[in-house]
Amino acid sequence: MNFPALNKQFYHLVAPDIPNDWEVEELLEPYLDQSDEVCQEVFKCIPAIWPISTSLCCDFLRIIPETLKILPLSQLSSWVGEILDRYELDGLRAAQRFMRDVESGYMNRSNAGLVLLGEVEGRLLTFIRGVAGRDLLIAPGNAVFTDTETIFLPPELAVFSASADNILLYKLILAFQWAYIANGTFTLPDPIAQEPMVDSESSLWLNTFFASFPQPLFARDCYFFLETVRAARFLEQALPGLMRAWAKLPCFILPGAEDKNISPQAAVLSDLQSRFLNGSLLEAWQEEHLPVLRDYWRRLLGEGVNGKDSVEAVKAICAAQASHEAEGEEYEGITPLLFQGEIRLSAVEAVHRQRFLRQGEELVHSLALHLASLPKEQLEQLLRSEEEKENGATGLESDVTMIMDSEFAGTAAEPQAPLLITINNEEVQLSEEVAEQVRQFHDEFGHLPGRFLSSAVGRAGEGLAPDAHPGPEQGGELQAPICYDEWDHRRKGFRKNWCVVTIKELPDLRSGFIRQTLSKYHGVVNRLRHQFEMMRTSDRFARRQRDGDDIDLDALVESLADGRAGLPSSDRLFIKLLRDERDIAVVFLIDMSNSTAGWVGNAIKESLVLMTEALEVLGDRYAIYGFSGMRRTRCELFHIKEFDEPYGEPVRERIGAISPMEYTRMGPAIRHATSLLAKTDARVRLLITLTDGKPEDYDDYKGEYAIEDTRHALLEAKMAGIHPFCITIDHQAHDYMDHLYGPVNYIFVNDVRKLPLRMPEIYRVLTS
Amino acid sequence: MGGANIPLEEHRIVKKPYYLAQGSEVEIACAAYRSGLPLLLKGPTGCGKTRFMQYLAWKLDRPLITVSCHDDLSTSDLVGRYLIRAGEAVWMDGPLTLAVRAGAICYLDEVVEARKDTTVVIHPLADDRRELPIEKRGELLIAPPEFMLAVSYNPGYQSVLKDLKPSTRQRFVALSFNYPELEQEVDIVCQEGGLERDVALSLVKLAIMTRNLKDSGLPEGASTRLLIQAGKLIGDGVDIQTACRVAVVEPLSDDPEMLAAVEDMVGSLF
Ligand SMILES: Nc1ncnc2c1ncn2[C@@H]1O[C@H](COP(=O)(O)OP(=O)(O)OP(=O)(O)O)[C@@H](O)[C@H]1O
Ligand SMILES: [Mg+2]
Repeated sequence: MNFPALNKQFYHLVAPDIPNDWEVEELLEPYLDQSDEVCQEVFKCIPAIWPISTSLCCDFLRIIPETLKILPLSQLSSWVGEILDRYELDGLRAAQRFMRDVESGYMNRSNAGLVLLGEVEGRLLTFIRGVAGRDLLIAPGNAVFTDTETIFLPPELAVFSASADNILLYKLILAFQWAYIANGTFTLPDPIAQEPMVDSESSLWLNTFFASFPQPLFARDCYFFLETVRAARFLEQALPGLMRAWAKLPCFILPGAEDKNISPQAAVLSDLQSRFLNGSLLEAWQEEHLPVLRDYWRRLLGEGVNGKDSVEAVKAICAAQASHEAEGEEYEGITPLLFQGEIRLSAVEAVHRQRFLRQGEELVHSLALHLASLPKEQLEQLLRSEEEKENGATGLESDVTMIMDSEFAGTAAEPQAPLLITINNEEVQLSEEVAEQVRQFHDEFGHLPGRFLSSAVGRAGEGLAPDAHPGPEQGGELQAPICYDEWDHRRKGFRKNWCVVTIKELPDLRSGFIRQTLSKYHGVVNRLRHQFEMMRTSDRFARRQRDGDDIDLDALVESLADGRAGLPSSDRLFIKLLRDERDIAVVFLIDMSNSTAGWVGNAIKESLVLMTEALEVLGDRYAIYGFSGMRRTRCELFHIKEFDEPYGEPVRERIGAISPMEYTRMGPAIRHATSLLAKTDARVRLLITLTDGKPEDYDDYKGEYAIEDTRHALLEAKMAGIHPFCITIDHQAHDYMDHLYGPVNYIFVNDVRKLPLRMPEIYRVLTS
Repeated sequence: MGGANIPLEEHRIVKKPYYLAQGSEVEIACAAYRSGLPLLLKGPTGCGKTRFMQYLAWKLDRPLITVSCHDDLSTSDLVGRYLIRAGEAVWMDGPLTLAVRAGAICYLDEVVEARKDTTVVIHPLADDRRELPIEKRGELLIAPPEFMLAVSYNPGYQSVLKDLKPSTRQRFVALSFNYPELEQEVDIVCQEGGLERDVALSLVKLAIMTRNLKDSGLPEGASTRLLIQAGKLIGDGVDIQTACRVAVVEPLSDDPEMLAAVEDMVGSLF
């Protein structure tokens, strides 16, 4: 390829970054001798690496010409995938090392039975979510452990020579980690105190417990071992097939116990471990010392044991070991079993804290929305008492009482019980949804801090815009803001009521735009009208059918006459109502982000003019909205035409007034359009988005997050029986479009001048 | 005309159908019957709606006429039409008219699938008028007290696309069905699938695992019906893993990753 072409493509791929000319020249030079195919394949990787690390990407480009002498081109993308995994896991250095070492690190490693997590992740995730019945996540990690939300797994497994066995091992790890979570191994509360862990600051009781021993590490490992035996017992009942398959595995790796110089405590634990693995643990301990443990095993096999029993057993073991403490080596821990992994209480605490903050924030947000919807007097009363509170000496937090309708307490109906909340003696009835959220929070964290209520009241007072930035001056709001959830792919869950959508009016702007456009496309408009008229159909009666809704009297008379006359009489005597009419509703979503300034924006407007002219002939129901905004608290939809609004001068003026605004947060716009379409009863419902690029907002709504949320919003639309379709004005196709819309549901218009003609054509093909 | 009694006998349920009540639905339905109120059954596929109707019809000793609705179902298909026989126009009652005349139970399965204009004909039948106008004959049928109207729909899928109009919805006593509680479902699978209890229990656990996958790309998990079918195959000598694969795993999805994950569940359970 020639240099200018390469250069241009490169800059396009790394946009909006603008690297130095000379650096780029140096990078691209070696590619001048490469074939087109090689260049294209290599360039395809740039958008994947560049945003993650520029220097890694440069290194990659430098090293490739050499590397491709060893690495087949077909393996390039999976190799790049692994480089990025390394980067994510161990940083730049490790990724560079792996990249340089293509021969021994990638090509020649012993591949027998190797299973890469990346290849089985989807399957494993679905597996464990189904088994656990909760939204766990999995991620590659340096060690096996769980923080109760995510289970960290080795990035690859090659323990066994058959890949099926390695996959089984993955499942086994997952099952054990789930068992710990389900059994509350990490979150065991203080057996004496009644209160569960209450606030974001408090630490797990187990920390205190382990610290109370002279050798905390040993106490911890004993506890974790006992809990592992308990987990195994739990899994024998929950997943007998898996446990049986595990028992059948060739031979399980025993952690190295060869070291003779280990401390007596470590010897005890290793002995326990190996007995556990060869299945002799429970019998062997029948006669041996420590009555507490003997009792523990007996109950484990019988009625079962719980975390408190493990705690008691740990105390007994540690007491028995106390005599050995003076002699021998200091206990330094033993290697945990592979599926057992590590116990990381700090990670559990961190997750707990995060959840507290995140759910707290979500809760405050919904409460604020709820309070803002209360009658004005009540809200004012709340605000007043809140203010008094702040000025008074009684402390800063609001007094909150929750009244979980006591009538139902303890009965099965309890979870559904309505919920009242009193804030500073003011009773507030919660909506079912908010009540549910409050209840979940309360269940998980034990109490609802009063300061949440204070900030909710505060935000409701400010007109419910938690971190709103005043937008540029435009027309007023049309209706109360509406909240939509947003999809967070990182935790595969919704952020509740995350985006606030306001419907706005475009500024009043008289322009000659429509008139100009109509005269510019005069001939086209007439042709379009004609074309679209031909597509129009309506109810019609088909006569002389074999069956139908009514008798076709003409045919009947004829047939009777025929019969009398001795002719064969027809049996086509019915009228049938044929309903092949167009029953289509369509919403057009118009990207009004600032990137559409100039040519693109004008072309979009012209297309809309032609489109509406054609649609009027056709009679399909349609609505048009522009979308833009900034941050989740200010997602704006601009009203151009509602479904039932006639097409007239005001609509035309509004099309003329479309102008570039701010950012492109697609999710909420799509969700709103979905809800509009869902309300129509049309047979075919279309959602056509007209945009010039990627979804992106000012905050962290970018990259994968933005794409995944948009994709999810589109999936929701599809689930609601809506067909989403996208018209993108861009220079070239991007991979993410396939991912977003599915292969056939979008189209590229790379020459913006063609858009006005293409759009009605696309619509025609779509709907006939 | 009028001789509709003969075919109706086929619709009478003589043998007591096996039905395990999930709550007080039987009592409520009987009360609704006594008060002349129509029933709306909602719930996911294969959770016992049809079976419940059969049981109810048996218990009330009424014939049960079931119509599966589809989007081409017209008013005539329900009410009736003229046919030409030997040069004469003969009126044929549709299933709904038949049921009204005979005081039977008419069950419109998956009523949301029917066209909106079709659903409207049941309106006068479903409120306190309890009448069915047959426009083409200029006849107004008054339903006898024995007549009962019941409709079902599955809110799980296409719910927004084909939701019932409020004016239709708000005529019914609504019974919400769901998969039975674990113990009950095990009983049902044992009974209907002819299985040992422990195998049935594992099947039900498998179903629950698949029902956990709502947010992971499986809108509806395995139904009781699928478990029963797996049970029947097992009873006929098909080995458990295979039976689960063909009767539970494969019918759920076509997505290879999903299939692998559900197979993993089967492997872990049995
Ligand atoms: N409560 C129950 N008692 C007895 N059998 C049941 C019960 N629930 C489900 N079944 C069994 O499950 C099978 C499927 O139930 P049924 O056909 O009634 O489902 P449905 O709700 O009508 O499903 P669909 O919406 O797909 O028509 C029945 O044949 C029956 O064997
Ligand atoms: Mg049914």
